[in-house]
Amino acid sequence: MEQVQEKQRTEEFDASEIEYVIYGGEHHLPLIMNLVDQELSEPYSIFTYRYFVYLWPQLSFMAFHKGKCVGTVVCKMGDHRDSKFRGYIAMLVVIKPYRGRGIATELVTRSIQVMMESGCEEVTLEAEVTNKGALALYGRLGFIRAKRLFRYYLNGVDAFRLKLLFPQPEELHPFLPMMADRDDTQNHDDHSPREEFLLKSILFSEVVCKFSSLV
Amino acid sequence: MDRHALHQPSSSSSSIPATANTVWTDASPLLEVACKDLRDGELIHVDNFNLYAAMSALEIMDPKMDSGIVNRYCSVDEAIEDGVAPVPISTDKTTDVQCMIDIMDHLLTCEATWHKGHSLAQTVFSCAYLLRPERTSSHALLHSYCKVIRATCKAVITVVSDARTHEEEDLFTMAYGLPLSGDGDEKCLSLLNAVEENISRQLRACKAPSSKRKPLEDIEPLQTNFDLEEGYCKALLCRLRFRKHFFHVLTCMRRPQGRGLELARKHIASCISELGVILKSAEFLMSNAHGTCEDATEDRTTASGHQAIGFDASLNSRISAPTPPRSIKILSWKKAIEYFEKLLHDLDIICSYPLDPSLEVLLRFVAQFQKAQPDLVARAHLQLLLVQDGKLYGKCPMFSLIIRAARLPEVFLHHDIQKNEYVVQLGQLVINMLKILCTNAAWQRRKLGKILQDWRVIYVQIELAFRKDFGEGSSISNGDNASARILKHILIWVDEQTYWISHRFLILGFELELYSPSEYCMVYWYLYVVLIRLAEKTHLKMTVSDGSAKQKGKKRKDSPKELARDAKIPPAISFLQCQICLAEGLTVLLAALRNELMVLQSPSPFNSEHEVKYVLMYMVVNIIIHLNNKEMFQNIIEFQMIKRGNNGYSLHK
Repeated sequence: MEQVQEKQRTEEFDASEIEYVIYGGEHHLPLIMNLVDQELSEPYSIFTYRYFVYLWPQLSFMAFHKGKCVGTVVCKMGDHRDSKFRGYIAMLVVIKPYRGRGIATELVTRSIQVMMESGCEEVTLEAEVTNKGALALYGRLGFIRAKRLFRYYLNGVDAFRLKLLFPQPEELHPFLPMMADRDDTQNHDDHSPREEFLLKSILFSEVVCKFSSLV
Repeated sequence: MDRHALHQPSSSSSSIPATANTVWTDASPLLEVACKDLRDGELIHVDNFNLYAAMSALEIMDPKMDSGIVNRYCSVDEAIEDGVAPVPISTDKTTDVQCMIDIMDHLLTCEATWHKGHSLAQTVFSCAYLLRPERTSSHALLHSYCKVIRATCKAVITVVSDARTHEEEDLFTMAYGLPLSGDGDEKCLSLLNAVEENISRQLRACKAPSSKRKPLEDIEPLQTNFDLEEGYCKALLCRLRFRKHFFHVLTCMRRPQGRGLELARKHIASCISELGVILKSAEFLMSNAHGTCEDATEDRTTASGHQAIGFDASLNSRISAPTPPRSIKILSWKKAIEYFEKLLHDLDIICSYPLDPSLEVLLRFVAQFQKAQPDLVARAHLQLLLVQDGKLYGKCPMFSLIIRAARLPEVFLHHDIQKNEYVVQLGQLVINMLKILCTNAAWQRRKLGKILQDWRVIYVQIELAFRKDFGEGSSISNGDNASARILKHILIWVDEQTYWISHRFLILGFELELYSPSEYCMVYWYLYVVLIRLAEKTHLKMTVSDGSAKQKGKKRKDSPKELARDAKIPPAISFLQCQICLAEGLTVLLAALRNELMVLQSPSPFNSEHEVKYVLMYMVVNIIIHLNNKEMFQNIIEFQMIKRGNNGYSLHK
């Protein structure tokens, strides 16, 4: 879905004047719809909005400045393929005069916080490859570009699937499917999958440090 | 609920005529009652009303979603009755010719727009003339041109459809309800030739010097303005010739086993030459355009700048995709020509490939070809050339490809082991890999990551079979046992190929801009490891095959020359070593920047580097971790020490 982030003329305000509100009911829906309709070219039917805010009201937030709605984030979460419990950021909008001041970051952060607390293992979204603002915002939050989707948008532009993986406690981490098949072919120390992976990571840092000293 | 309301047609609004299967009635009263019944926020839906359903839902009468609201016509026939596509286009011959050229130009831009990823219905078949083939029969030029367009579209759809690997092709090949196979379209070229011949005669007639202007043949001129006759004849001829040659390119390239490639190249050259003439004709066409020139900008879809007659993108909205058709922007005429120039250039590269039976050479060719970012049509042609009837180029069985790739002698080409189930499966994996390598880079990378697992599995299966049949610790010099030798070689090659795929997976990430600078260090590190393993396996493969070859040779003292030759590093290995050094250098550089200068780190409030690594690298780590930790670590450090110890670089053993 779409994300909008470009800097243009700004409105003067102090960050403390922005009030962040969780979705509270039908009275918030027209505010969200107007904001998104105004900023995005893709038309979303009212069913789309209702789908998100009715099923996951705890994941949608709005930013108000002096009673005016200036930004919103709309999300969902649920079981995905590979039985991963995954959060998804569907829409993110901040009106032009209020951009570049961290409002979008704050909205997204709040959503992600709720997702994490609800037990999500990861969060994903799509963003146009040309949307530098969104890519920078999510990059700062630790999202990486997991995939590139060819001509994802109707105008022919590619998209990145951005993904944020939460740290998992060792026992729960679903690991690489191949690990189970290896036992008969390898003769090595018997590490658990997670341990193996951690060893690899340590190896990486260790070798990297060794390399630095070899230079 | 008042059922009676349903059956009372409101006389003011049943403007849609009833047909054999449908009778329209006004549902507004029913909807009004339903609306009053629902409270704010209530929704009536079926159980499986999910996100997809929500997003595909329409708000009726919202012009952004309900394309019927903005349609001028309910059907093609209504549009035609309204005079959208007159035949002849104009009673004035000059205007008729001008409009004909505009139609040809606009069709070219529609075709390019279609190739670039939009639906056929909204692009090429937005032309009303194409939608009713029988109507144009009285106008030879229009009729033959429409036929060749339909035949060309059909040929291209067949190619893309035959090469289908995933969803990218689906929108392209969707032609439901469109008259793709007009009656007699196969004979389009002979009709086109006849028209071309006629116009050539008209051109010759108007160029004949005035003294000799006795009509040698009773030729009626193309149009009424003598001064413009030459210009318009030429403008038409280059367009007709382009279409003729382009159609020939498609048919030649489809000939099995690459037999038509050389001839295709000749037609490609002709196409490119005609495109040049088409471009040059713009000046003449713009300056003589009927009426005022409407659009001289770069956005115009015709050479003359005039809007072409007979096109309406909404004509097919009812048979288009189930989701509401959004309005699309047709490419400009200049951009369309550029598109075809690129397409022809890419097809030419394919046609000039010498169909090398070596997999190594082929893989390098495909990787190089992909760097030019060829579009779908070119990629589909490449795939169909490479994989036909389950064989390479339609001639080399997979087993022979594998034998050669594993550097086994040709005598094994007919060995029975080709019937072994794992060897057969391996052949399938190779076919699948070749097809994947012909897809767009984004999808290719994801798919390559996924097949790594399959390649690992087949390795394990073959290895198990080998151990079962030949026991542990068989050396390669189990001379007489051909099967053992074949399997051993194949195993080494499978390993090598797996690392090649891993390498491509990593490198494509750069092309696709997937890595951010804070991830580079890790990427180069993994590239480094993969390259070392790849070089190792390649070297092993070469050593093993040379070793077996040597055994068969006469027993004689190795001459100094031979020893020297053996000590020389094969170019393939040298090349890999260069890349290894590059990867190593970059890893160290970036590591130093991180560790010493504290730059290029990515502090995230939600996770750490572990998670980043996991998401980005799990496919490749999958491959690398089949090694023992210590072993891998040791390999790398040893490699470092050898490098520092020797003058030249050589692989440790």
